[in-house]
Amino acid sequence: MDPKTIAQSAGPDRYLAVKPAPDHREKELDTKSGERPSSFPGSHMKLTRGAALVICLVVAVYGTLLLCPLLGIFVNSFREFIPGRIGAEANSPFTVANYADLLHASYASYFWDTFRIGFIASFLGVFLAFPIAHFVARRRSDWLRKLIFGFLITLMFLSGLVRVYAIELSFGPVGFARDIAPLLGVRVGSRFYIEFMIVLGLLHYAVPMSALVLIGTIQNVNPRLIEAAQALGAARWKSHLAVTLPLSARGLLSAFLISFTLSISAFVIPMVLGRGRVMFVSNLIYNRFYETANFPSGSAVAVVMLIISLLVVYAVSQVTNSRWGGALR
Amino acid sequence: MKRLVDNMLGLMVIFVAIGTVALLVMPLLIATAMSFDSREFLGQFPPPGLSLQWYKGFFSDAYYLKGLQVSLVLAIAATALSTLIGVAAAFTLDRYDFRGKELLSAFFLTPLVVPHVIIGFSLLLFFATIGMFDGMLQLIGGHLIITVPYVIRTTLASLVGIRKSYTEAALSLGATERRAFWRVTVPLSKTGIAAGAVFAFAYSLDDVSVSLFLTGPKLYTLPVAMTNMMRSQFDLRIAAAAVCLMAVTIVLIWVLDRIAGLDKVIGQGIYRK
Repeated sequence: MDPKTIAQSAGPDRYLAVKPAPDHREKELDTKSGERPSSFPGSHMKLTRGAALVICLVVAVYGTLLLCPLLGIFVNSFREFIPGRIGAEANSPFTVANYADLLHASYASYFWDTFRIGFIASFLGVFLAFPIAHFVARRRSDWLRKLIFGFLITLMFLSGLVRVYAIELSFGPVGFARDIAPLLGVRVGSRFYIEFMIVLGLLHYAVPMSALVLIGTIQNVNPRLIEAAQALGAARWKSHLAVTLPLSARGLLSAFLISFTLSISAFVIPMVLGRGRVMFVSNLIYNRFYETANFPSGSAVAVVMLIISLLVVYAVSQVTNSRWGGALR
Repeated sequence: MKRLVDNMLGLMVIFVAIGTVALLVMPLLIATAMSFDSREFLGQFPPPGLSLQWYKGFFSDAYYLKGLQVSLVLAIAATALSTLIGVAAAFTLDRYDFRGKELLSAFFLTPLVVPHVIIGFSLLLFFATIGMFDGMLQLIGGHLIITVPYVIRTTLASLVGIRKSYTEAALSLGATERRAFWRVTVPLSKTGIAAGAVFAFAYSLDDVSVSLFLTGPKLYTLPVAMTNMMRSQFDLRIAAAAVCLMAVTIVLIWVLDRIAGLDKVIGQGIYRK
């Protein structure tokens, strides 16, 4: 039999969807206090006055530091730009010009650059992370597994500035790349090279992030399926291509989308490595404030970017919470 | 033949994996090596001799030192506040039932998915509108809102992991509701709280995107100072600072491993609830 058919017949439905399900259901019962004897109020009680106060306080903090400011930029984005002050005039006329401006080719190019470079970095990140994740996932607990694990987490935690500086130092005009780049026919100052450095910077986030997501996914792919495929005559590479990859499809997609959200909202990486020649949307927002103090226009850019990021995040949640979501746990 | 192709491909995959790790690690190693450069100027890799002059330069520069001081005070204040608020929120969410609870939990985690540049930009506009011009308070507010969700998430995760039967056992043995809470629930969720505090501290210490909007020439954090220097005067004192930051990161990871275990921290991932 073709290994692919084996994977499908024994695969998603039986192993991925059914197996994690009981676990899931247990949790649901637990949190919804379904079967708990009523004599033990223990963990889920009606809201007391003190608890309601705590909730109100936290909501107030979020309202002040998150909701009001976001609402503020939303309102501001419809105001007419009057130079020389922070924020628009309180009674300046409403307009959609700030959004209409975004359709202009020069603005669109910032969005295009952000998504294009972010896409390349996320795709490469997932591609490069898969072998690492596979290696860790299929290894019994030992020092090497722990070392790679620690390495990936350190990379996730590492200060963004440190990475940017290290990349600039190694691949920038003073780095050793100055000698290597001409051999490959690339000029160090060229736009292609700058984009290459930004992709490298984004990979610094995308690879560890994707690897950590994929480790969980691959651990949930039953290794017997691959053994079965190989026992039935498939080559090792073919068994992985026909079994491991399709069964980790959700994990791959979710790793890609998570890397993509991180990439398109990157700020320091394009700011320093892009040298003002390649700019992401986030840098555009900063420049609206820093260079022209045009807050209404900056707000419009921010609103559009916020909507796009939330859409991508929604896609992530759809992927991870869907029927095969158990595979990602 | 099949064997041969398999082995070749297997070797290639291993090469790709090693190459990827090398590509990620190499810049960090080069930066570390360059921070010990003995030359007076920024020269080519490798450094001909070793010295600590860049570290001395960094730690005797008033501009960096001031940034470092602000960053530390800010990180401690933001961590303390966000731990307090985050833990209170998580305990209440876990313990009580009320309408809209799911929605509220999701809402409390939203700062994780809003790009930080937008948070910084909108806070700047907001503070200007309401006329709040105290720089330090602005910074604490900004750092609070980006670090609180980490505390809420790790604390909630540790609370979910506590078996309900423990609390029930305490209650059936005669403990009061309050006593069971303080003697059973709180101690068991300590690791989650501590992990959240470490996360908060690390992210506050590292933040650029929010701080850049809320700082000025008089009040700035270390990352903002480093960013400005990277764009104006690219020298190796930043490498020295970067090595120090890396050391802090490694210490934090070690602490995290001690208190919570790395496997558990990862189990939650960034987008998991």
